[in-house]
Formats: sequence, structure tokens, C-alpha cells
Amino acid sequence: MIELKDVHVTFNKGTPLETKALRGIDLIVPEGQFLTVIGSNGAGKSTSLNVLAGLAPVESGTVRLDGQDITNWPVHRRARIISRVFQDPKMGTCEDLTIMENFALAHGRTAPRGFRLAIEKDMREKTAERVKVLGLGLENRLDDKVGLLSGGQRQAVSLLMATTGPSSVLLLDEHTAALDPKTADFVLETTRTIVDRLKLTAVMVTHSMAQALSTGERTVMFHRGKIIFDASGKERAGMSVEDLLHLFKKTQGEELSDDSLLLG
Amino acid sequence: MSLYELLGTLETGFVFGLVALGAYLTFRILDFPDLTVEGSFPLGAAVCAALIVTLGWNPWLATGAGAVAGFAAGWSTAYLNVRFRILHILAGILLAISLYSINLRIMSGPNKPLLGVDTVFDAFGGFGVATYIISPIFLGAVTLIVLALVNVFLHTGHGIAMRAAGANPAMAEANGINVGRMKLYGVGLANAMTALAGALFAQIFGAADAYMGIGVIIVGLASVIVGTSLLPSRTILQATLACIVGAVLYRFAVALALNADFLGLRASDVQLVTAALVALALIAQYSGSGFKRFFKGADKK
Repeated sequence: MIELKDVHVTFNKGTPLETKALRGIDLIVPEGQFLTVIGSNGAGKSTSLNVLAGLAPVESGTVRLDGQDITNWPVHRRARIISRVFQDPKMGTCEDLTIMENFALAHGRTAPRGFRLAIEKDMREKTAERVKVLGLGLENRLDDKVGLLSGGQRQAVSLLMATTGPSSVLLLDEHTAALDPKTADFVLETTRTIVDRLKLTAVMVTHSMAQALSTGERTVMFHRGKIIFDASGKERAGMSVEDLLHLFKKTQGEELSDDSLLLG
Repeated sequence: MSLYELLGTLETGFVFGLVALGAYLTFRILDFPDLTVEGSFPLGAAVCAALIVTLGWNPWLATGAGAVAGFAAGWSTAYLNVRFRILHILAGILLAISLYSINLRIMSGPNKPLLGVDTVFDAFGGFGVATYIISPIFLGAVTLIVLALVNVFLHTGHGIAMRAAGANPAMAEANGINVGRMKLYGVGLANAMTALAGALFAQIFGAADAYMGIGVIIVGLASVIVGTSLLPSRTILQATLACIVGAVLYRFAVALALNADFLGLRASDVQLVTAALVALALIAQYSGSGFKRFFKGADKK
């Protein structure tokens, strides 16, 4: 279970560039819930994901995970319980390492790394089985460097890597935004399957309202560093992108200026 | 070039092969341009010489102690960078400068002759083969052992973590790798290898000298650049072998340049020749798909 309590984040504090990225976020994501997060540019959705991952320093407030206060934990320590798929396919995998080595690396996120050879036969077979499910033929290319794969393939590999080993939380940071529509659908579908099968607590940030409503079971909208809307269950099930826009206008009393939210 | 010169060049080539492996670890694997080696090379020599001469240590133990001292120096550079966010190059320069004074202290003077004492090379005296033949073989073996160890290490769990920490720090952290700690150990290890090279170098030439570190960074880098631009370097094994071949080739190039009386070069021109060679290798790499393709076939990247 994720608990954010009155989280404030300010960038460049005390300078003319001071930006209040988050202004008092309270959010509880129960175990096993798939939450989608939406908002315009600069709304604070990515910042809140970074707060969870440990990349954005929290000015005040607390971040708790499964009851543990992790507010001051460094990124690598949180990584044992939180895994992440980045927006940029190049970020989630290490291109100088082979596919197999990347998986060995991901395996070390939750298991001790040690001074034995990282890749064992057993692990190779398991990995081949896992990537076979993707249907991309990667099981025959385990010793290829990841740099040789396409963006979509890399993103699919990132997703599998992030779900290697026992984790409780999966963070998805607009992980389909840099892909072409067909590949994006494929990666999204794979995401749904995996999250469902492993019963993960997942937080997905997206730019597309349609995607936000069709994926997961709860949607929150950020605006100017605050959560302005939180829907789940029946309320969300009967909702369309138009409804969401209408609601947005009503709460804010202003036109939505970011066209990219309308598209997709 | 006489046989004696040839073997002597091979000897120094292998010693600098260790420096090249260190440079490969820092520059290529960790993406941490490390200038500490200018100080850790003479540090290894100074520690080793002082222990043998002043305290009468066993030369093998003294050589090992030199490597440990090098590890400490590299670790300190990385610590300044990781903990206090001092720019890596600057941190290396600070360490190299302070090591100059430290080395003077260790040797209680600008140098420490190793005359009339046992060195690691004396262990092979009983084989009835002249030292100038045995020592290049011994140094080649040492370098290959270190190469093998580096290769195995870079394929272990911690090894691939170190490679990821250098190649993609954000991804490494997201996979639970403490990137800062990887730098501490990696730069430490690289300097341990450099200091080991320094300790061996001092024993070949019979003295440790406070000035022997000048230009070591260039030699190490040049070896990596020359080696990896001439030979394939797609796998770790290929790349590390290329570094050692690069170091040997580099020493030969320097030796040839210095023997080239017709060019009007003198011994004091060695640094100029060194720098020019590195510049040439870099230019070839930059302008040079043609140059590289010639040696590497259709291999891209």
C-alpha cells in the first residue's frame, strides 16, 4: 500500500525560478490497485511518481510504503520494493549489456548480487520462457546487446525486467508515450496482463485520457500540484473522455489549454 | 632494434598494460575520467620500495601493499566525487597533487633506489635464464592474470552492476544498484592495478621516483584508444585484450620514434611523441570510419 501524506515539492526554492511542483498531495493506493494518473504538462504527475521512486526530494510530508516510512530512502534502496519503467525506452535498459545481462541485472534488484557469474543456465532458461511470451522472437537473441533492439522491443524488455522478482509496486512513467501507436498498444496490453497476473500495485502516468480510463481501476487527475479529481468503481466505469473534460472545466472554471490531452 | 631493446620494450609494454586495464575500467566501464593514476603509479612504487628497503619486507608482500595503497588513493578520489560532488577530473587532480607530497614523505626524498635488495624478479634467478628474458615473460603472465580476473569480475553479479552504473546510472539506481559505491570500488580497483604497475616498474628499473607518474594518464588512455581503434572491442574480453595490445604497441611506437635518429628526435622528446600519437589515434577514430573499417571489417559503431 502506498501512502502519500501532505507531500510538498518545490524546485529551485528561493530563486526566481521557484516552482511549486506539488502542493499538498494526499493519496492512498491500496495493495493490488492499478491507478492511472493524468494531468497537463507541469501538473505534478511525473513529480509525484518521482517522489515515490525517490528522485524528487520531498520538502514536507511523508511517503509510506506498506507501513514503512521511506521518505528519506535513496533510490537504490527503494528499488528493492519499487520497480519502474521509464518513458524513454533507452532509459529502462542498459544498451551496452546483452538482453540476458539486463535480466541478470534486474534479478539483482531483489536478490543478492554476489561474486558468482551473474548468468546461470537456470536463469537463462527462465528468461527465455518469459521473453517468449512477448512473441517478438527475443528468446533467440538473449546474447544480443540491447542497443540492437527497437524502441518497442526495449520497452517490452524493460517491463519484463521491472517485474522480475518479488516487488510490491510498479511505477510506469508514460511508458508508451515514445512508441508508435501499434507498439504502444502492444506494450500497454502486455502491461495490463502482467499487472493483472502478478496482482501488482501499479501507478501509471499517462498523457492520454482515453488510456487513463481504459486501463486500471482508478484514475486521479493532477492540476497545478494538486489532485483535483479521483474516480473509481461505477463512477469511473460510466465515464468518457468528454465527461472527464467537462469535469475538469467545472472544477477549475477554465478551459483546458493542453491539446495533447484531447488527442488519443 | 636489438633483442635486448625488444624485450625491454615488451616488458614496459606489459607493465603499462596494467595501467591500460585500469584506464579501461574507469574511462570506458565507469565513465569516470580518472586522473589519480598520475599519483597512484608512483605511490605504488614508493610504498613498495620503502617497504622493501626501509622495513625489509618480502618484495611480493611489498608489491601487494603498493596495490592496496593505490586502491586507497582511487577510493579517495571517488569519495570526493560521490560524497562531496567534486567534479571527477578535479577530484583526480587534487589526489594526484597531494600524492606527490605523500610520495616524497613515504620515500623520505625524491627517490628510493632498490639496489642490492631482492625484488620479485629475483625469484626466478634459479632457472638459469637471464633476467632480461624471464622478466617480460613474468610480466606478461601477471598482466594476463589481471586481465582474466577483470574479465571474470565484470561478468559476476557485482560486475554487471558496475557496468550498468557506468553506462546508465539512472537505470542502475532503479535496479537497486548503489551507483556511488560502484564508483568507489571501481576507481579504487583501477588505481590498485595502476599502483601494481608502478611497484613492478620500480623493481624493473631499480628505483622508485617521485616524477615517474608524469604522463601515466596519457599512456593509459593512449593504450585504450590505440588498442580499441585497431582491434575489435565488442566484448569485454576483446576490449581488455585490445587494451594490453594497445599498451605494447604504444611502447613500441615510442621506442621506434626515439630510435629514429633520422627524424632528429631525442630522448627528451618522448612526451611530445606520446601526445602526438594519442592525438593521431583520436583523429583517426574521429574521422575514421575508413581507418577503422580497414581493421575491423564491416563492424559498425
